[in-house]
Amino acid sequence: MTNPEELRDEQLVELCRQGERHYFDVLVRRYMEKAFRIAFDFTRNTETAKDLSQDAFLRAYANINQFDGRSSFYTWFYRIVVNLCLDHARRQQRVAWESLERISEEPGEQKHLADSTFAPDQEAIASEAKRRVDQTLKTMPNKQRTAFLLRNHQGLSIADVAKVMKTTEGTVRVYLHRAVAALRQSLLELV
Amino acid sequence: MKNGMPLQSACKEFEEDLVLYYYGETSKDECSRIGAHITACVRCRGFLDDLRRLLPQMARSEELPQSFWDNYYRETVAKLAQQDERKHWWRTLIPPMKIWMVPAFGTVAMAVLVIGLLFGKGNLSSFMLRPAEKIPHEILADENQLQFFESMDLLESLTKLEAQDEQPKPEAVNTQSSRQRLQSGIA
Repeated sequence: MTNPEELRDEQLVELCRQGERHYFDVLVRRYMEKAFRIAFDFTRNTETAKDLSQDAFLRAYANINQFDGRSSFYTWFYRIVVNLCLDHARRQQRVAWESLERISEEPGEQKHLADSTFAPDQEAIASEAKRRVDQTLKTMPNKQRTAFLLRNHQGLSIADVAKVMKTTEGTVRVYLHRAVAALRQSLLELV
Repeated sequence: MKNGMPLQSACKEFEEDLVLYYYGETSKDECSRIGAHITACVRCRGFLDDLRRLLPQMARSEELPQSFWDNYYRETVAKLAQQDERKHWWRTLIPPMKIWMVPAFGTVAMAVLVIGLLFGKGNLSSFMLRPAEKIPHEILADENQLQFFESMDLLESLTKLEAQDEQPKPEAVNTQSSRQRLQSGIA
């Protein structure tokens, strides 16, 4: 009997389709770290990343019959994770916008936000750089951000990023360049 | 930026290529072309050095303990099992049902359906074939008009319409004859 850990993704998927759910556990073990990392790159929050990536596994299993095998399992699965993250980001943006509107109605709070300056030492600059990178990533168009995170943080090839995003490699190259340019610009302003 | 070094800007026409070069996403020809340019251009070399310094830092994430992953795996598998149970909740309602019982139940259900249709057919057909004489005249007259209007081409049927208008309605005929009978009775 073959060790399930040695089976290819597509073989495991086929077994899951036949009702052998425990084979999906192997896929969970195989991709849990990557799924969590993508979700964390999008959300920057451990608990949210955990929930979203676990939800992605649940959805992948529930829709396992829809996986047609035209792409690899991981590009199909990455797509589910990314869609959940983008959906979450959209909801968060709405909430953030509403809370920002509430803050702007309170002048005292506004002053507090404006006064948040940093001490000019190396540690403060590094911390400010990180904050700017996070902020730029957050406000970047979703497609640029997705392309950048999948290539830079997840190490997917441009061809795979294109498959996950269902677009062309040329488009991904443009997104990637724009994302890097935007991040670089945000750091340039710091110097 | 590190150690107070400002970020380098690249030649405009090489900027996108340098990003792809950094990620190893250029073809062999492009690679040698960019490589030749970098050796000659200080600005582009500095730009590439910045990418090599900054981009891996952005990708770096904190290491999580093994206990986190163990817990993560356990939770996910438990959630999957729960989802699976919810999907097949109806199976818990019929736990003692054996596999041979499914076609047996199917056959019984089919038999009940066929018997129901056979016995119910008589009633249904008697309702469908309701005798015309029980239907009031007013409705029958309206029905005739409806059939006429459904198939008519208005301009071609004008003469028919006029002819229909000239004919006395059955109700009018009845009232006329009863009036005559009444008058003769009085006389």
